[in-house]
Amino acid sequence: MKTKQSRDWEGVWVFGDYRNYFQNRVTLQLIAKGRQLARDLGTEVTVLVLGSQIHQYAMEYTAHGADAIMVVDHPNLKNYQVETYVRVVSQLVQNFRPEILLAGATAFGREFFPRLAKRMNTGLSADCVALEIDGSKRLLIQTTPAFGGDLLADIITPEHRPQMATVHPGVFEERIHDHEARARILYPEVDVQAEERVQLIRSKPDQSRKGGLEDADVVVVGGKGLGSKENFQMLFELARLLGGEVGATRPVILSGWAEENRLLGQTGKSVKPKLLITAGTSGAVQYTTGIQGAETIIAINRDPHAPILKMADLGLVGDAKTVLSLLLEKLRKRL
Amino acid sequence: MNIVVCIKQVPDAPSIRMDRERMTIIRDGVESIINPLDRVALEAALDLKQKEGGTVSVLTMGPSQSEEALRESMAAGADQAILLTDPLFAGADTLATSKVIGSAISKMDPFPDLILCGRQTIDSDTGHVGPQLAEELNLPQVCGVTEIHVEMNALVVKQLSDGFQNTYRVSLPALLTVSMGLNVPRHIPLGDLEEAFSTARVIRWGLKDLKLQREEVGFSGSATTVLRLYKPPQKRKGEIVSGSSQTLAENLIDKLVSLSILDEDEAE
Repeated sequence: MKTKQSRDWEGVWVFGDYRNYFQNRVTLQLIAKGRQLARDLGTEVTVLVLGSQIHQYAMEYTAHGADAIMVVDHPNLKNYQVETYVRVVSQLVQNFRPEILLAGATAFGREFFPRLAKRMNTGLSADCVALEIDGSKRLLIQTTPAFGGDLLADIITPEHRPQMATVHPGVFEERIHDHEARARILYPEVDVQAEERVQLIRSKPDQSRKGGLEDADVVVVGGKGLGSKENFQMLFELARLLGGEVGATRPVILSGWAEENRLLGQTGKSVKPKLLITAGTSGAVQYTTGIQGAETIIAINRDPHAPILKMADLGLVGDAKTVLSLLLEKLRKRL
Repeated sequence: MNIVVCIKQVPDAPSIRMDRERMTIIRDGVESIINPLDRVALEAALDLKQKEGGTVSVLTMGPSQSEEALRESMAAGADQAILLTDPLFAGADTLATSKVIGSAISKMDPFPDLILCGRQTIDSDTGHVGPQLAEELNLPQVCGVTEIHVEMNALVVKQLSDGFQNTYRVSLPALLTVSMGLNVPRHIPLGDLEEAFSTARVIRWGLKDLKLQREEVGFSGSATTVLRLYKPPQKRKGEIVSGSSQTLAENLIDKLVSLSILDEDEAE
């Protein structure tokens, strides 16, 4: 909401998403970053945990650096349901008035936070890759890829509170698990009425995801620079020979050269392989946010000025298709 | 079933030029298209109309030029098109955008049974307008749907979300945002395009046609402000090699060996 007395709003809140706990570390990353932002502001980081029988997560979040945990434990909150969650969190925000509210830019985060921001009549930035405090104005500077991904934008929410952002998974480091850490546990009074208009009939793990891109040690990625669907197919053989997985940029998905579950980047998956080979991709930020975690990047691109070459550990200036077919030839001989 | 499809005209360009002074995109000279996921939403609407009857309306907020996207949608089969355009709408963030679109939809008579949007656009990519419009209109929402089935006064939809395949029953009226994979949009014949561009009627609404105040729309109705835009800093300083494709492939093999992905003794 718009506010003249932004100083009445204090504290950094992180939405605790504990589904797929061991894979989904974004909440832990946000606790670490939120704690740093809170210290810059001279305040605390609080993690919000909604669900049913969720105390184990409160302990985990404490060990990872939260100053306080706000727990709302109710059977109606068992499933992550956008409108029920908006109802609960909007009441808490109104009552406790945090100045900053963060969530991971997961599919749920990106469905839940826009609606929450709208109900609170405040601003929201999407899929941030950096967060910083402007100390003089007590403002959160939210950095997000902009305009097709070639640029970054620093966004502020000058007068409305809370300042809300979803954050790209993998851009911040989590803190080391500390058994000695202590946090206050809060049990706020709140109305937990369930939304009736949307009913979850079934929820099952998506099988196509198992053992996939996110866990691979080697990832080979192709972009539109490969020229055709047939050329893109070479990546599957390369991935097989190197024991890896195939990823794709958005233009490739839009052209129908690969399935959407291979999409890397801002609206797709983030990978952190030991080696990533990227062929015929120019290096738009919307793609590169998904590969920042790679230990080593080898890029092949015809354009010597393509941003991807500067980002790579080894940048090869040449025709991606030709280099790949020669590479495959050499590999077939060896293996 | 009466359906409204919210679309956006976006630049079809891999690299977009910026007006750094005003921090907006320079649209001149860049070819524009309907945002690809909005085409999927339109296709879903046309498909539902064919099965269930009713009407399909397309709606966009944007400069005068975005009328092209509406005409293209009419060529694809939409019955009605509404352009929300006013100099005062410019500079809107998603909060102000959802306000204007919501106000326009509230004005429609009868109120639609279903509102469809693409899950996100390829230019700004926030994915905010769909859920914020649902909130503005107090409608139930499901984002990123990959299947839609019609039941009595309800829809059963599927969604892939964070590694789960979820199936929901949503009562109508409702708002859905759609994902790639829901359908493949039809090809629009040139003749239909020509006809839509010469004869179709596009309704234009400005601020005075909506029940909104000047402070609620555009830049003044927005909560966020862009401080600055800049090229991202390059973090890695690697080696850049040029040469024949043969040389490049050899370089690549050497790198794989030095990373212990390939064994050295296998080297040629």
